[in-house]
Amino acid sequence: MLTAAIIAAVIFFVPPVKGLGDLAKIIFFHVPTAWVAVLAFFVSAFFAAKFLRTGEFSFDELSARSARLGFIFVLMATASGAIFSKLTWGAYWNWDPRQTTIFVLILIYGAYLTLRAAVTDEKARAKVSAVYSLLSVLTVPFLVFILPRMFFSLHPAPVINSAGKLEMDTEILTALIAAAVDATMIFYQLMKKRR
Amino acid sequence: MKLSNFRFEQAAAIFRKDFLLGLRRRAAFAAMLMFSLTATANLSLSIGGAIFDENLLAALLWVVIFFAASAGISGTFETEAAAGTLATLKLYAEPQAILFGKMFFTLASLAALTVFLLPIFLILFDCTVAQIWLLLAVIFFGIIGLAAAGTLIAALTTSASVKGGLFPILLFPITLPIFLPAIQLTAAAISGADFETELLMTMAIFDAILITAASILFDYLD
Amino acid sequence: MKKIVFENVSLNFGRHEIFKNLSCELDAGKVFGIIGKNGAGKSTFLKLAAQIIKPAAGEVKILGLKNVAAVTPELKIYDDLTAAENLNFFVKLRGKAVNLAEMGARVDLDFQNNTRAGDFSTGMKQRLKFAILLSVDADIWLLDEPTANLDDSGREIFYREIRRGAVEKLILLATNDAADLEVCDEIIKLPI
Repeated sequence: MLTAAIIAAVIFFVPPVKGLGDLAKIIFFHVPTAWVAVLAFFVSAFFAAKFLRTGEFSFDELSARSARLGFIFVLMATASGAIFSKLTWGAYWNWDPRQTTIFVLILIYGAYLTLRAAVTDEKARAKVSAVYSLLSVLTVPFLVFILPRMFFSLHPAPVINSAGKLEMDTEILTALIAAAVDATMIFYQLMKKRR
Repeated sequence: MKLSNFRFEQAAAIFRKDFLLGLRRRAAFAAMLMFSLTATANLSLSIGGAIFDENLLAALLWVVIFFAASAGISGTFETEAAAGTLATLKLYAEPQAILFGKMFFTLASLAALTVFLLPIFLILFDCTVAQIWLLLAVIFFGIIGLAAAGTLIAALTTSASVKGGLFPILLFPITLPIFLPAIQLTAAAISGADFETELLMTMAIFDAILITAASILFDYLD
Repeated sequence: MKKIVFENVSLNFGRHEIFKNLSCELDAGKVFGIIGKNGAGKSTFLKLAAQIIKPAAGEVKILGLKNVAAVTPELKIYDDLTAAENLNFFVKLRGKAVNLAEMGARVDLDFQNNTRAGDFSTGMKQRLKFAILLSVDADIWLLDEPTANLDDSGREIFYREIRRGAVEKLILLATNDAADLEVCDEIIKLPI
């Protein structure tokens, strides 16, 4: 329901960002999916830690599901981001720090899921993938620190500013937050399913 | 690291044993060196005599190190598991001693790799290094991180039934925080440009974190 | 009292139930012969006793005993090292000083020989494994089919060393060979 309402709101009520056109509305898809992709990564690591502490396989199951969902969301976020990037910067890809971060996220999710697929023994798979999940989480703060020093950024602030505003429109901001909350709830529902 | 159950003499014995085995059965080591040679020659030949800027050279150097290391150290635990000696080792040695014995051996192998690779690389690409000490420091911190992450990941992949290519796939995202600064600093070392000491510090700190994490997480793998 | 206690131990592999509510006490100073058909869980019993694997339910307690040493078909030695290098390595991991000549005489194996263990016959490898067993610190010995590849003189050595070790250790001997049972103090027939 909420999803439908937000889609409608985005299409009909949110004013187009000046200079970017209607297609720019893809940002209301891009930001929430990117948010969930990052959230799912930490959720997966959280359950991985819980599994290692308790040895309960249900936590491994949750960790794996979160990673699978996160992988889907990160792909959607990357695709929508690339389209948005083409619209605003004229290229699908330019190794901007956030693009790099999200690409690393794809690599980590991909590596994690490959590892799961490669280990057949259930116990070994749970342990090994939990360890990998926790190990990969360590890289995040470092990448956040390093990447901006290595690649020049074009991300958010400049775009919105180029639309002639110092801050986001309240309408845009509200819609973005609502969409992010909605995406989080979709993620939560998917996590609960088949529990 | 739980120091209480870390026994240095066990780690040292495992290091010596691996060293001896490495000399007797040169396969892994030879594969690593030959890979680095082949890759460097391949790159150099296919690009002819073109002149590169330092950024590209730095990236090439680290890509060769990364994949040569993958070829050489992915079997750290796998060969022992296949031979059936890993179970014996686990029965008689503390897990932490096994991890650190293997990690030191991996580090020694990677050091040997760079000693072999670096001169060949610099000669084939006709490259002069302006700040040699910076380059050596970067390589030092770089291979420590590769050894720490690589040893743990080699332990992870031991239980995998499909192994082809798995090791570099798992290793790459984990070592990116080392890889990226290493490339930038290596470029600075070649060109003689100013560099950010912070990046070197970042590498050192991340090395320490990887070693600690490997130590903590390894205990859960039994 | 030094002993291993099984309390209501249950374990299954998939649907195959191996142990159900098994309770027993194994006292140190004795040799326990573990017998039973293939697949009855002899090797699994040894691993449970040494806490190498955990039971699905129940508990295994080891009281007053530490360190396990074992001779089983799964535990291999290093094929690329000589007999002396193998022994020295394991002694460095966990052991007391070992006199190679003396140990060589005890298990009737030449430790001066530079042949790599990979070129040994199975019987010679088994003798080397015994030498390691005798040289490392351990209160518990796990022996799985230890005499399977031994000739008569090898068996004699083996039985002698078991009797000698049994004074202070807890020894679990899984076997299909009726001759082995003569060194055992008690016999546990699986399934219980």
